[in-house]
Parts: sequence; structure tokens; C-alpha cells
Amino acid sequence: MKKIVVSVLGQDRPGIIAAITRVLYQADCNIENVSQTILQSEFSGIFIASIPADRSAQDLCLQLEKALTPLKQHVYVKYLEHIEKDYTFTESEPFIIVTKGPDSKGLVAGITEVIARYGANVTNLQAVFEGGDDPEKNIMIYEVDIPTRIDQQKFYEELRNRAQELGLNISIQHRNIFKAINRI
Amino acid sequence: MLTDREIISTLEMLQNEHLDVRTVTLGVNLLDCAANDLKTLKDNIMKRITTLAKNLVRVCDQVGDKYGIPVVNKRIAVSPIAVVGAPFSTSQFIEIAKLLDRAAEEVDVDFIGGFTALVEKGMARGDRTLIRAIPQALAETKRVCASVNVASTLAGINMDAVLRMGRTIKTAAELSAQKDGIACAKLCVFANIPQDIPFMAGAYLGVGEPDAVINVGVSGPGVVKKAIDRALNSEENPDLGRISEIIKRTAYKVTRVGELIGREVAENLNICFGVVDLSLAPTPNVGDSVGEIFQSLGLRSIGVPGTTAALALLNDAVKKGGAFASSHVGGLSGAFIPVSEDLNIGKAAEDGYLSLEKLEALTSVCSVGLDMVAIPGNTSEDTISAIIADEMAIGVINKKTTAARLIPVPGKRAGERAFFGGLLGESIIVPVNNAQGANPFIRLAGRIPAPIHSLTN
Repeated sequence: MKKIVVSVLGQDRPGIIAAITRVLYQADCNIENVSQTILQSEFSGIFIASIPADRSAQDLCLQLEKALTPLKQHVYVKYLEHIEKDYTFTESEPFIIVTKGPDSKGLVAGITEVIARYGANVTNLQAVFEGGDDPEKNIMIYEVDIPTRIDQQKFYEELRNRAQELGLNISIQHRNIFKAINRI
Repeated sequence: MLTDREIISTLEMLQNEHLDVRTVTLGVNLLDCAANDLKTLKDNIMKRITTLAKNLVRVCDQVGDKYGIPVVNKRIAVSPIAVVGAPFSTSQFIEIAKLLDRAAEEVDVDFIGGFTALVEKGMARGDRTLIRAIPQALAETKRVCASVNVASTLAGINMDAVLRMGRTIKTAAELSAQKDGIACAKLCVFANIPQDIPFMAGAYLGVGEPDAVINVGVSGPGVVKKAIDRALNSEENPDLGRISEIIKRTAYKVTRVGELIGREVAENLNICFGVVDLSLAPTPNVGDSVGEIFQSLGLRSIGVPGTTAALALLNDAVKKGGAFASSHVGGLSGAFIPVSEDLNIGKAAEDGYLSLEKLEALTSVCSVGLDMVAIPGNTSEDTISAIIADEMAIGVINKKTTAARLIPVPGKRAGERAFFGGLLGESIIVPVNNAQGANPFIRLAGRIPAPIHSLTN
């Protein structure tokens, strides 16, 4: 059974998920995973579904476009490829990096440049920039898998230096502390 | 996936509400260090402590860094020295205390507890010698802490020992008169002492404990206060049932931090994990105060009418939340009200809201006792013994731990200030009302029998 990935992006409004899932249902696709979010007024959704052998991703994309164009949504459909990661998977520990500080351009790029250089992988990023100088209104939260083989102290030091250059307050903590405190 | 609310509220506790692990205390069993000559005993003790504790501070700092939670104090608790050094003389006990001080310095811990005797039912030779050695041992060392358990619910109150401790405290104060009697700040007299306290000055490793064990003391009065403030500001008419619930949830979070860090430190040191002590322990910093919680609850100050009820609610809620969060709870587990170590409580004593009598009443519903209370230097040894006896009676009858850490500040009177420095803080000297010089009741001595365990009114 082949699998497809459907990505939908556009201004949020009622009926988007109903339209997507109706087309998938009519095409005899079985939804396996969905992740959907709304940032400000924009809807974004990713759907992974199995697709019958006699159907193609191209046909499905046409049907989805037909259903979603009236809702002003952009659609992209591709086959799910076998997992062949471009980077070598290494043992890692999950950490949470949080920055707070005045808004300016280049904050995410500045922080992620260091994260990427050390081969750490961002698994989730939440960022809110409401502008202005109030640090509480300009927050980035990165969930990052940090490889155990790297020099972690050097990595933290570089991150802290970069944060200082960007005028940010940074904290780097193992994810388990947040789980321990907040989850039963 | 964690929510942004979970992450940000956790950071808030760490960055603005003084959430930390107050102490990781390594228990070190010294019973098999016993020897019949002092040099061998001292060599054995030094080797044992420096071997087991050599990585304690480094590992605590590493684990603290990993989770972004500081482990504020790293400490050691040893087997009762009255047992370990039983055959030796007073001067030799003082040498042992100095050795413990050096061992603590060598592994860079700020306090080492266990200069301890357990005498609730009677004193053996080693106990008597240790008690005689306490004043000089504490006055001539910086890091050694002493404790003497003089009473228990099962044995009653050893009034001979109580009398002896009044004298010991006076002498210890006089020997450290230059520093306002600081030696007494390192000495606790207990009823029902637990075997696994991680907090000083009462920490020692009980004889029922393993070779080595890691016990953790959590804290977090600032976190509890802020949680109460938030509820009172954001919720419509929260009642005391609701406030108890909020304290429980907060205590849960604080305790989970201690459990996580304690277990990881223990694992990294290859030492078994003992207990989390669920105490609200203040420091002399604004925002890290147990006293401020009473003001958040609507009382003008700790000490005014209503304080005992508020403390009972607080202490109970902390235990309920903490007990759920930890697999093994022990130590003192409750709210501390050390007068000199809590800015707000010290101020309450200074402003006249909090008296020695009210402090004694509060100890019936909280974990410790008359803790870090500076009293006039001319308080007689009989009066000190009598205050201790009253405090012990509360513990013995109520089947709980109580303790007295009294500092008769040499040369100073009620209303003057005593300065101890660091975590021990500073305090106004509180008056001891209605004290008489000699106290014939105390001098009757003997043992107050263990209480009846039925007819519980």
C-alpha cells in the first residue's frame, strides 16, 4: 500500500478539513496521521494517508484542488518516501531551548544557525513575536534533539553567546524537567 | 509535545520564584570505620568520606545544569558520631569533629551533619562524651553540625539530657561569643528525629540506613506564594479549599523536581536514592520566604491570630501534593519557620507580631520547631532547658518531630540584633517572657514517661 502526504495552506475558514477529508474518503484513502495548526489567520495542515494502488497522487491532487480552490487553499500532494534521512542519525537527548527578548529580524535564523551547525535537530518550534521590547511578548521555544557525541558545553556556550549578541535571554534545559513538573 | 504554557510557567518558577533543589545530601555510613585507636578511626573516616563524596559537588552541578535547576547546597550526613567514636574521650571527640570539618572542606560541601547522639531513653558513655564535646567542637569548626535526640513518642523525654543540653547550648554560645553564638546555629535538640533528614543542622545517617544514600531537600516557598497570589488575583472568590488545592498542585511540581534530580544524581554516583524531604525551606532573600505566604493569605503578618490555622493548611497541603509526587518521602517534610533565615519571619519578630510563645504554638502544626531563634544572652541554662522540654513535649505527645535551635546571644539583650551571615541570616533577639533563673521543675530531671497511645484528646 502506497502512502501520500497532503499539505494544505491558506487563510483559515470553516469547512477546510471537511473538504479535504471528503475527497480522501471518496478516493478510498485511509488517513493515518494529521497535524493541523493555525498561525494568526492562516491554516496549515499535513495529512498522511494510504492510497489504493489504482489511484495516483496526481489525480488526487486535481480532485483536492477542485474542492479547495473555492476555499482559497493551496494544495500539495506527494508520495511518502521510504525513510532515508539525509543526515546520519545519532543518539541524542531532547532539550528545550527558550529565548525571550526584544523583537528584531534574524532571531530565528541566528539561533538555528548554531543549532544546525552542531547537528542538533529541531523537532518542534513555537515562536511568538508580538513586536516591541517586552521580552514576555517575544518568545521562541525550540524542542531540539541534541546529539550526545558533540561537545555539549561548547554548544551551550555558543548558543548563549549568540543569544547575547541578539539581545536574548536564553535557557537550555533537558525536556524531562518539563515533563516531570507538568505531567502525571 | 509540551505546550508553550507548560514550558513558560516552568521557566517562570525557576527564573522569578526561586524554585531550586535546596540540598542534595549524601548519607555516609561510618559504623564500620570504628577502631580502637583514634588515628585509625580518623584515617578510616577521612578515606570513606573523600572516596564516596569526591564527585558529589561536580555531579550535582552537572545534573543541575542539564535541567536548569540549581542544586543550591551539597551536604553530607554521617552515622551518629556518639556511636562511631564511643570509646574515645571528650578531646578526642573534638578531634573527630575537626576531621569531619576537614573532610567536608576537601570535598567542598558547606555542611556535614552527624555529630549526633540519640539519648531519648538514656545516655551511654559515647553519648555523654559527645555532648560534652559539642560546644568546643562547634565553636572550633565551620561546617560541622550537631544534633541530639532527647525525646521520642515511644520513650518519653529524657530530662537529664534536656538539662544537659541547656548547659551545652549556653557553653557553645559563650565559646562563639565573637560571632553572636553561631555555634548554637549548628546544633539542634530533637524529639522523634528522622533518620534521613537532608536539611541541616539536623541531618545524620540513621543506623537503619544503607552504606550510602542520597536524600534530597526541596524547597519553593516563593513558588507557593506566587501560585496563591495568581489564584487570588485571577479567580473569583477562591475559598480555602481551593487554595489548599493550589498549594497541593504546586507542591507536586516542586517535589517532582527534587525527585528527578535526586534520582539522577544518585544514579550517576552509583548510590541508592533515599527520600525527598518535602519542606518549604526559606532563605534570607525577598521572594523566598515562608512568612510572605501568610501575607498572601490575608494575614497582616505571620504571628497574628489565624496564623496557626493558616500554617496547618499550608503544611498539610504541601504534604499531600508532595506525597503524590514522590515515591519515597521522608525527613522532616513540612514548612520551616526559622526566624533568622526568613526575612519576613524575622521582620514579624521585630515588629512584635511573633513571640516565642506563638512560635511554640506554630510548631504543633508544622515540621520543625523553635528554629534559629535568637534569645537574650543572659537566659539561664535552666530556662533554655525548660523551653526545650516544652518543645519536646509537643513532639512526643503529637507523635511528630519537633526541634529546638536556640541561640542565646552572648552580651546582647532582647530587641538587639544578632548576625550569623549567609544562609543562617540575622535576627532580632526575642524576649523570653516570665523566665526564672533557676527552674526546680527542670532540675527534678529523670525521664518523663512515654505517652499513652489511646484516649487521644
